Amino acid sequence: MSDVIIRTDKLSKVYDNGYRTAALEDIDLSVERRSFSCIMGPSGHGKSTLLHLLGGLDRPTSGDVLVNGSSLAGMTPERLAEFRNRTIGFVFQFFNLIPVLTVLENVQIASMLAGVPDREQKERAVGLLTSLGLLDKMEARPNQLSGGQRQRVAVARALVNDPDILMMDEPTGNLDSKSEAELLDLFGEFHEKGKTILVVTHSDTVANRAGRIIRIKDGKIVPMAG
Amino acid sequence: MKPATLVLRNITRRRSRFAFTLLGITVGIASLVTLLSLGTGLEKEVRKQADVLGAHLVVTPRGWCAYEQISVLTGETLPEAIPDADVRKISAIKGIQVIPYLTQRTAIQNQPVPVVGILPREMKEYKKWEIEKGEYRLDEKGVVVGHGIAKQFKLYVDQAIPIRGKDFRIRGILAEVGNRDDLAIYLDLPVAQELYGTGDKVSFLSVKVDDISQIDKYILEIQNTANVAVVSDKQLLKSVLGIVGAVGNALQLIAAVAILAACFGIVNTMMTAIYERKREIGILQAIGAKRRTIFALFLAESGFYGLAGGLLGVVAGFLFSFAAAPYISQNEFTAFLGSEQTVRLFDPLITAQALAFSVAVSVLSGIYPAWKASRLSPVEAISYE
Repeated sequence: MSDVIIRTDKLSKVYDNGYRTAALEDIDLSVERRSFSCIMGPSGHGKSTLLHLLGGLDRPTSGDVLVNGSSLAGMTPERLAEFRNRTIGFVFQFFNLIPVLTVLENVQIASMLAGVPDREQKERAVGLLTSLGLLDKMEARPNQLSGGQRQRVAVARALVNDPDILMMDEPTGNLDSKSEAELLDLFGEFHEKGKTILVVTHSDTVANRAGRIIRIKDGKIVPMAG
Repeated sequence: MKPATLVLRNITRRRSRFAFTLLGITVGIASLVTLLSLGTGLEKEVRKQADVLGAHLVVTPRGWCAYEQISVLTGETLPEAIPDADVRKISAIKGIQVIPYLTQRTAIQNQPVPVVGILPREMKEYKKWEIEKGEYRLDEKGVVVGHGIAKQFKLYVDQAIPIRGKDFRIRGILAEVGNRDDLAIYLDLPVAQELYGTGDKVSFLSVKVDDISQIDKYILEIQNTANVAVVSDKQLLKSVLGIVGAVGNALQLIAAVAILAACFGIVNTMMTAIYERKREIGILQAIGAKRRTIFALFLAESGFYGLAGGLLGVVAGFLFSFAAAPYISQNEFTAFLGSEQTVRLFDPLITAQALAFSVAVSVLSGIYPAWKASRLSPVEAISYE
């Protein structure tokens, strides 16, 4: 079995809002299973777009993404949603928790969408929140948490369906250095447990933890020197 | 966690907006229930009064309009128009029993009260009335009063009662019969004719036939005997119910417009909610919500407005119609409506209809917003600020 979990084939994304903007051009990329990779590059050069395409949040203009050998381009929207639910865990810069739900419910919701029974949802969520040190915050609302705590809740939500891949877009962008360090330790643990981690970041601290850095410039992957 | 948790939390996150949207649908459904409830009560009462009239045929002057036909059932004041000569000729027809009515009005404690001139012996036999207090004696100085009127105005036997400036004595109070007969003062017909200056005329005749299979023959015979119009009890009922139904339909249409306006309120609330929660929709999509899940969540929200607004509207509607019925009874058209006997505090059929309608229109109102929400692009939604 191949060690490659994500592979792209001439992946391109062009935005056409009156005038054409090529966000990504002919990206050929492979991501190995259980790797910890960073996507870096200047703002507006296509890092987040690439992450969205790899995670099935957006459709390419041309080319394809294969995850675990399955083509995302051929999936219906419903099938793609199922894929995101079971295979990918997303974490975003702005936490993106649902403010009307408690911490516990914010974590449970991803497994609810997977059709997991109530009791099991709770068991999974409580287990994760305990391991992330948030047991005493389960009934709190997101606005009662610090930035670092919110991001840990977002991580718990991303992990609750035990996905193969964690995709994160600037996950430490809104955190102080202490929270950033704590979160990076967590990522290290998940990586050791066999998760494939793909992080879009500007942070060198994050990049230092990664085994591979993918640099993007002007919508293209910058070849590694040497 | 269940999807309903998310739906309920989302609905109540903007409490004032939730309350006003709910109020819109509540008011619409309440008005519909009120009108349905009063309309149903009215129809039942019309049928009951038609039974009470106990007539196979009703003889009226030619050219009476629908209002006057309703008044035959309601006991309202009617113009005197059938002369005694015609009454005698019609009464002479074999195989029928004729009961003349002169319906007028007086006031007790400044409230209008029907006065009916009758032939005492014939009427008692015809209606099978019983006396609760006093005696059944109608003459130049004496009247009998219905149970309801006596109760309402605390009348008693031997009490003096002025009618059109002349003092009468209450000789007796009729036993309760549970219809508009309870709500009138009865005078001897010649006394009433003299008092109201109607000469020898009466308002209408109630006719009972011996052989119902010959009813068409009797109609023709009565029409040939005098210059009058004859309607069967079924025709009368149909005609009155037709009017009641048409008025009811028009009023229900107005209520439907109120509900339609409330529906636009729901659409507006849902569209606003989608714009406000665009990023959250994106998050749900990112963590695996399918389009149909997003659609169902938003549709459930709008349906909830229908269910909650419908329930509140049904309760408010029944309470209002129940409370309003006695006041509406002051109206001439609905004088006979005003009792708890006709307007029920709860009607399962109306409740089911109103709730089903409320939920259905709310769900329909939610379709477009829910569809819009389900069609958002995840990336666009997540990036929304």
